[in-house]
Amino acid sequence: MGCKRLPQTDKHLIHALIAATGVSSVVTQLYAIRELLSQFSGNEFVISLIIFVWLILGGLGTLTAQTANRFRGVSLTALGWLSLLLACLSPGLILAIRFLRTALFTTGVSVGFYPVLGFICLVVGPLTFLVGFLLPYSLYSLRRKVPGYPGSRVYITDNLGDVSGGALFSFLLILFFTPLQALLLANLPLGLLSLGLIFLSARSNPLLLPAALLLVAGLGLPPLLSVQSLSTGHSGNLIHYQESKYQRIEVFRHKGQVTLFGDGGPMYSSRSSFLAEELVHYPLAQLDEAPQDVLLISARSDMLREIEKYDPDKVTYVELDPALTRVQFQYGLLQEYPGLRIIHQDARRYLSRTKQTFDAVIISFPQPQTFKGNRLFTREFFHMVQKHLSPSGVFSFSVRGYANYLSQSQERIVSCLHRTASQSFSRVLLLPGRRTVFLCRNGPLTANIPQRLRERGIRPPYIQGYFSGTVTQERISRLQERITSSAPVNRDLDPVLMRFVFSQWFAKHASSPLTFFALLGGLGIVYLLLSSREELVLFSTGFLTMGSEILIIFVFQIVFGYVYSMLGLIVTAFLAGLLPGALYGERLQYRGRRMLMATDLGLISCLGLLLLLLSLGWADCSKWIYLGLGFGIALLCGMQFPVALALKGDTDSVASKSFSADLFGAALGALLISVALIPYLGVTLAIMALMGLKIFSISLVGTPALGSNKR
Amino acid sequence: MNRRTFLASGACLALSLACPPCPWIRNEAWAARDVTGEVFRDDAPDTLWKWSKEAFSYSRLDQGRVLCNVCPHACVLSPGDRSVCRNKINHQGSLYTLAYGNPCSVHLDPIEKKPLFHFLPGTSAYSLATTGCNFRCRNCQNWQISQKKPSQVRHQDLFPGEALKEASESGASSVAYTYSEPIAFIEYMADLAKLARDKGLANLLISNGFINDTPLRELCPHIQAANINLKAFSDEIYRTLNGGRLEPVLETLRTLHGEGVHLEITNLVVPGYTDDRDMVKKMCDWITDQLGPDCPLHFLRFIPRYKLDRLPPTPIPLLKDFRQLARNRGIRYVYIGNAPVPEGLNTYCHHCGELIIRRRGYQAPELGMEKGRCPSCGTEIPGVWS
Repeated sequence: MGCKRLPQTDKHLIHALIAATGVSSVVTQLYAIRELLSQFSGNEFVISLIIFVWLILGGLGTLTAQTANRFRGVSLTALGWLSLLLACLSPGLILAIRFLRTALFTTGVSVGFYPVLGFICLVVGPLTFLVGFLLPYSLYSLRRKVPGYPGSRVYITDNLGDVSGGALFSFLLILFFTPLQALLLANLPLGLLSLGLIFLSARSNPLLLPAALLLVAGLGLPPLLSVQSLSTGHSGNLIHYQESKYQRIEVFRHKGQVTLFGDGGPMYSSRSSFLAEELVHYPLAQLDEAPQDVLLISARSDMLREIEKYDPDKVTYVELDPALTRVQFQYGLLQEYPGLRIIHQDARRYLSRTKQTFDAVIISFPQPQTFKGNRLFTREFFHMVQKHLSPSGVFSFSVRGYANYLSQSQERIVSCLHRTASQSFSRVLLLPGRRTVFLCRNGPLTANIPQRLRERGIRPPYIQGYFSGTVTQERISRLQERITSSAPVNRDLDPVLMRFVFSQWFAKHASSPLTFFALLGGLGIVYLLLSSREELVLFSTGFLTMGSEILIIFVFQIVFGYVYSMLGLIVTAFLAGLLPGALYGERLQYRGRRMLMATDLGLISCLGLLLLLLSLGWADCSKWIYLGLGFGIALLCGMQFPVALALKGDTDSVASKSFSADLFGAALGALLISVALIPYLGVTLAIMALMGLKIFSISLVGTPALGSNKR
Repeated sequence: MNRRTFLASGACLALSLACPPCPWIRNEAWAARDVTGEVFRDDAPDTLWKWSKEAFSYSRLDQGRVLCNVCPHACVLSPGDRSVCRNKINHQGSLYTLAYGNPCSVHLDPIEKKPLFHFLPGTSAYSLATTGCNFRCRNCQNWQISQKKPSQVRHQDLFPGEALKEASESGASSVAYTYSEPIAFIEYMADLAKLARDKGLANLLISNGFINDTPLRELCPHIQAANINLKAFSDEIYRTLNGGRLEPVLETLRTLHGEGVHLEITNLVVPGYTDDRDMVKKMCDWITDQLGPDCPLHFLRFIPRYKLDRLPPTPIPLLKDFRQLARNRGIRYVYIGNAPVPEGLNTYCHHCGELIIRRRGYQAPELGMEKGRCPSCGTEIPGVWS
């Protein structure tokens, strides 16, 4: 080798830099997802779009780095500057998302599929591109000094950084820091190492001081702008801000009114008694006697005040997020009640463990927009509620109301839930209003709420005044007429409701994802037709890895009711599996096709195990199973890459194509699993579809032509 | 990767970064600060349907194009095009409405729900709407019909004759053209209004007021009361939140007042948009100056809905403040709706402050008047009371 050796300190510095890049990229990605979900009231479409764009633009960054290498535009100094740029941009990304959301879109307006896609490309794209660019660029920088420097070391170091980033996010950052503080901490090592590299590569560099200032500004300023960035576009003053384990909580006070925002959307406001009256009195008015124990799952402002009018012995309020209830009481959005018992637990988990029965179970949770919310609107959950009702007990929940016309998309949602509730209750009555309230009981139900309330001597002003003009017999009859008896039943693992909710989301924004998917499908078909069999295998592997990750995230949400605090761990489990997989795969690559088939079978087995857990009802036995499954799947997928590469011949061109195949599969997997396969086929069939993909992959591997030039 | 593939990759990246957002940025961001609707090119059905009728007010232009004269959008439609309001099409060089006799929403509502507080209180209004609207309000509570084409919804077969029969049988005192935007189904409204008037039923126009002067004046003889939603006293907000303009609406208010139609005004107080005190002050001054002090004004509380769902509801103290402000500026009858403010629904004598009408939501109000006069001081209370 004609080149000088790279000093040991420089090498260590560069390796540390690569690891720090891994930490930065994973933490930034997780917080970017979090921020975008909050800014766009994100549903599964938004999550999958973020991952899709991240993968595609990151991949383009990687390909561009190869080109930079070809044109000899590689140096350690440039690596230092680019890494510094990444460190400075990452915290700024969160600010950019917040400020540009306000700058580009009308304040207070929610936006649809294409604007979200455009926003993600525009705002998150440059950073993902840079992240994708930096890893190979680091390798080329090293090779410029030490030709033939093993790429696997860079890959391993990066992966270690990724895993560390995931762990850091899950065990430290999410628990103790706000996003901007967390990003400062996660990017500080990268920034300092970048400065070190700039210094080492040119010790008398006059730009060192500006670089240091840039770092201080890039990392130090964003946390200082935290409150301003959150207040942008809001009337009133931000009086409380908190990142709980489950959501972002902001409280604004404006002209004496307090409004609590959860994940960016208004949840509760003071003086909102109209809705509280509907949600409380419609079910409780059905009871002949005063209720002994009322179960409240999630609670809107003033609900406890309305319940108090019935003087129940006990009110059990179940809310997963302790921070939320604390804030509700702190700012007077809920009032203390002598018999009030607050349970900070997932409602399903609580019901599955308690033997208590209730005279009324009231869900005030809004119409589900995500899989997480859907789990309180399924047959399984309704059945669980029914088991915990006293013989004359009543259950109520509600979905979005309508003013004067029940749209077809809402009609499908209402019909689906009516059919689902009818599986557990002999009577289901629907009352139109601000929300469409479902009253469920194995006994008589009446729509004459004002009359029942008069009999009890309760006079809630809204119902007394407005019921007769809003919930007329004619409107009730028309609503009941729209119920389709053949509507599908919404189930835990077949969340058909989400299909209708997604379609309503598109109807609201007068758009359709078909153009996007048609374009993507067309490109996909062309790509697959032009791909070699090895690339197809890797495509299926990428699809399965990302598809499984998304699947596990969503199944976890469905089973446990939350995912935010576990998101980092799940991602970490996948990242942690890829690294040993790749190392092990390199060692066993001589086994060629047999190795690919064995790993494919292993993947099918992992998915089969998940299927078994779900079908046997053991899905909630332990959270660690999901992490273990994620690790296992990633391990097997990681093993396939070097094997497939070896089969095809490990050249730069092959590596690039293989990488593209893996990446394209991953991007497509993320998208299709979340927005097409789960809502349209259900979780079970989505898992089977992934298994089918791998069976197809085995058939390709089993074909003699594969790798015949090598083995 | 060779130079060509590098360039291709670069182009792809540029496309992915630049092209996809471009139309969205145009539509949703910069230019979309103005959400004014556009003509739907080549969107008309090939054939007319049962609920088509040639439009009342349009001009024929060259090359088969037509100009709709109903509202200030002045849609110029080539054959096969559909209007901004979604209801009108150019069919072979003539303008047709597709919203005639096919209401998608028909209900019997208390007249207070419109809201009309000074017109036949305690009576019912036979209320109907077809699809369509010439606005694009981001907070529309009826977007499921206002932002749809006639063929996109379920509808009833209810031509003016049958609608009148139903209205009469329902016990209603009036027919309200409401929910979506009656200007978008003006032909249906006008024909039904003529029949209803002959039958002794009042006609209520519940509208955004975005209509040209000529068709409005033609309509006025058949309309007895109107509630016009003055969405903001700012042209910019009209463009941003509603896709309309302020001046034509003000012109409509002047015309209705001048033509002797009983007029009430609704103003939705949207936090961050129409909650500016100075703007409200100007609006009140304009009302007293142009329409007089007797035109009732309803401040409505905003509730997050449709696309404008990331704002909080309007603070109640703000509504109360605006009510007082409007009274101080000379408007005699100011109400608060959609909020738990009981006194905001009541009518007090502007002269002596006596409670004249106590309202409890949509329940029949308790009238304390004697022949339209305050029982305490005898002052005439403006309105149509029987």
